[in-house]
Amino acid sequence: MATYRSGRRRDDDIVRFPIVLFLVSLGLAVGALYVDRPAERPEALSQFRADATNALLPVFEFIDAPVRGIENVGPWWKRQFELAEENRALQVENAELRAWRDVARSLQETNARYRDALNLQGPTVGQRISAWSFADQSSDFVRSRLIGAGRADGVATGYPVVNVYGLIGRTVEVGQDSSRVIMLTDFNSRISVMADRSNARGLLVGDNSEFPRLEYVGRDPDLRDGDRIVTSGDDNVMPRGLPVGRARLGTDGRWSVELFSRAAPVDLVWIWPFQPVLPPEANPVPVTSPEEATPAQVQSEPAPLSDDEGEG
Amino acid sequence: MRAPYEQSSPWGALIGLLLSLIAALLLQGAAARLIGGAGAFPNLVLIALFIWSIKRPFYVAPPVLLLVGLIQDLFTGGPFGVWALSYVIAFTVARDREADGGGGELGPMAVRFAALAAIAQLIAWAAGSAAIAAPAPFAGLIGETILTIVLCPLVAWAFARRKERSSFM
Repeated sequence: MATYRSGRRRDDDIVRFPIVLFLVSLGLAVGALYVDRPAERPEALSQFRADATNALLPVFEFIDAPVRGIENVGPWWKRQFELAEENRALQVENAELRAWRDVARSLQETNARYRDALNLQGPTVGQRISAWSFADQSSDFVRSRLIGAGRADGVATGYPVVNVYGLIGRTVEVGQDSSRVIMLTDFNSRISVMADRSNARGLLVGDNSEFPRLEYVGRDPDLRDGDRIVTSGDDNVMPRGLPVGRARLGTDGRWSVELFSRAAPVDLVWIWPFQPVLPPEANPVPVTSPEEATPAQVQSEPAPLSDDEGEG
Repeated sequence: MRAPYEQSSPWGALIGLLLSLIAALLLQGAAARLIGGAGAFPNLVLIALFIWSIKRPFYVAPPVLLLVGLIQDLFTGGPFGVWALSYVIAFTVARDREADGGGGELGPMAVRFAALAAIAQLIAWAAGSAAIAAPAPFAGLIGETILTIVLCPLVAWAFARRKERSSFM
């Protein structure tokens, strides 16, 4: 440990800084660490981070361009050999999908009729917003990405983000033209999910590994290795049914999920403007005068007892 | 830590320090993009700070280390304070002129840097784990530390070649 002394001695060629500088710097670093814990980050600090990232967006894009080029040199050559085989497979798959398209259209119509009959309200999901993911912000402590869409594009905090294969995370910091997406693999990511086959519920918990854990599945869950996992919507944070990945049983008997989004590098993404269902106290029925009340409102209110009824 | 050997203009050195740190910080921010989140990338900021701490030790004061660490946290998306705390403590520990008999030769310098890098990465791991309230994966940091330790002497050697000197400084 160095000995700090004030100033610099003339007979010595060693540079020393006053110990107060070290102590103040140490205190500020510890203070920053305490204030900026990801789980309890103040809104103002999140906003500052988002704004700073937004300001740096052009610089990152500039750096990212040659990096993308270098990154694609190897895969491009490798890809040429795979394209012919992939093309054949796609043609076969396309023929099968045409048949499924007809089935899907028929089911869509039937489904719409049933929804009308049941007056079923689905989650409110607006038109999705597309954006490029331009910088990987992953480190050993955080798994996140920056995307080139922000408040100006209609993005807000908490919106789900998907790529062509499935869910990758949700927005946590939103700037004017960019946003930060916390990945499903991040320590702070918690998403309610279910198995498509059995509707068995669970909580997808990120642990900074490639395969987030499936927790709270119960003692004897109705899960099978390879089950398709989708969002359940139970948390009112994500819409129901977004594809997440496949369940896999570890050698230690614990369940994890192999994410669909790992199938390819995350590049083009879509943000789903999802509005969670508000509780009644946050979404009250507007008070109307008796003249403006709809027949349904009038019917739903208890009729005052007449004099006769009261006496009888 | 030794006094500066470099006798060139302080303004030139200051500009050099700023440019090298900005470049290192930006590359660090974009690094994970090149190799993916699971890969390892050398800590270029640590290398730049170490080289400048030998070349111009006055400039690498604790507040500078704090500021650079905070900016690195911002650029890499990590919690504020992780790298700031790491640099402030690690460089304080490494400010010992007796550690390598002066810090001017490439071999002892590499050994001293290896110790500094190990301390810095260890503190960053501990601080990061404390911030996220869970132990962070250690494998990534080990890979990053090894790459950093290997790369630093190469950078120093190239720097020395550019200066056409027999020793590092």
